[in-house]
Amino acid sequence: MVKLAAKCILAGDPTVGKTALAQLFRSDGVHFQNYTLTAGVDLVVKTVPVPDTGDSVELFIFDSAGKELFSEMLDKLWESPNVLCLVYDVTNEQSFNSCGKWLEKVRAQAPGTTLPGVLVGNKTDLAGRRAVDSAQAQAWALGQGLECFETSVKEMESYEAPFHCLAKQFHQLYRERVDAFHTLV
Amino acid sequence: MRQFDLCLSSEGSEVVLATSSDEKHPPENIIDGNPETFWTTTGMFPQEFIICFHKHVKVEKLIIQSYLVRTLKIEKTKSKEPVDFERWIERDFVHTEGQLQNEEILVHDGYCTYLRFIITKAFDHFISVHCVSAEGLVVSNHS
Ligand SMILES: Nc1nc2c(ncn2[C@@H]2O[C@H](COP(=O)(O)OP(=O)(O)OP(=O)(O)O)[C@@H](O)[C@H]2O)c(=O)[nH]1
Ligand SMILES: [Mg+2]
Repeated sequence: MVKLAAKCILAGDPTVGKTALAQLFRSDGVHFQNYTLTAGVDLVVKTVPVPDTGDSVELFIFDSAGKELFSEMLDKLWESPNVLCLVYDVTNEQSFNSCGKWLEKVRAQAPGTTLPGVLVGNKTDLAGRRAVDSAQAQAWALGQGLECFETSVKEMESYEAPFHCLAKQFHQLYRERVDAFHTLV
Repeated sequence: MRQFDLCLSSEGSEVVLATSSDEKHPPENIIDGNPETFWTTTGMFPQEFIICFHKHVKVEKLIIQSYLVRTLKIEKTKSKEPVDFERWIERDFVHTEGQLQNEEILVHDGYCTYLRFIITKAFDHFISVHCVSAEGLVVSNHS
């Protein structure tokens, strides 16, 4: 049994629902509420079991403000990330188009390493206002090596899956590294 | 006085603290004298471990075998308990793709009872430490 610890960067444009997602995940889906825009950074810590292993991953989720895309403050806060949760709003095409920039910014913090990541399209409850096609998002995510999810934090739908996926990917990475350590001597 | 590896658990040394633990790769592996066994870190940095000699020693040379360590800080104390550590050594390692890092450090003023190793930066998400040995002398068998 091993407990891993991962620094998880939550990134995406303002108002896409990053804080709502992180807080719902923290409270195990107890409540959905409105959040005002994040100033600075919030930290959400939660342990996620890795299925079929007895192992777990403690996620340290860094929820920062979407308006900080170009700020240098994030460079310091995001130093040495382990996994990435990239969020956009399915009713806001611009928020999807920004994902490339967010991804670049986070990857720049982890040069030379694999950074497990997920892409999350939020607010699927607003079906009539959908502006980003699932297939389009999936194609982009695939090209970037990200796993793709859609959620509605408001309807409390699928909000756990992205984090469980990150935990699983990080755990897999640990196993691969340990296998490599065995071959050194 | 005979010169030997002061860190070896078979000589009475012990790892008294490690910030990571995978029961398959426990910190005891660092001082078992076998580079095939190792300790792994399991998450974010910094990560550290503390070696207790259970006696007063004078370290003259440190040899660290590891993988993917980028920056290592070493602190020491002469106290009975693992407290009052003072800064001692800081090293940047080079990335050795596919083979162990093997760092030899000649040290000055190596009087101590405990050594604290802090890995502040790494080349990847996880690192391994296979062996830490310290050449030197036993000053007194009381700690
Ligand atoms: N309809 C709907 N609204 C949502 C959903 N998730 C979040 N919201 C709303 O979207 C607004 C912004 O949510 P936040 O979680 O504050 O967004 P954020 O990404 O943290 O924004 P910043 O902190 O400014 O970067 C809030 O009013 C939420 O109630 C959802 O799934 N459906
Ligand atoms: Mg927020």
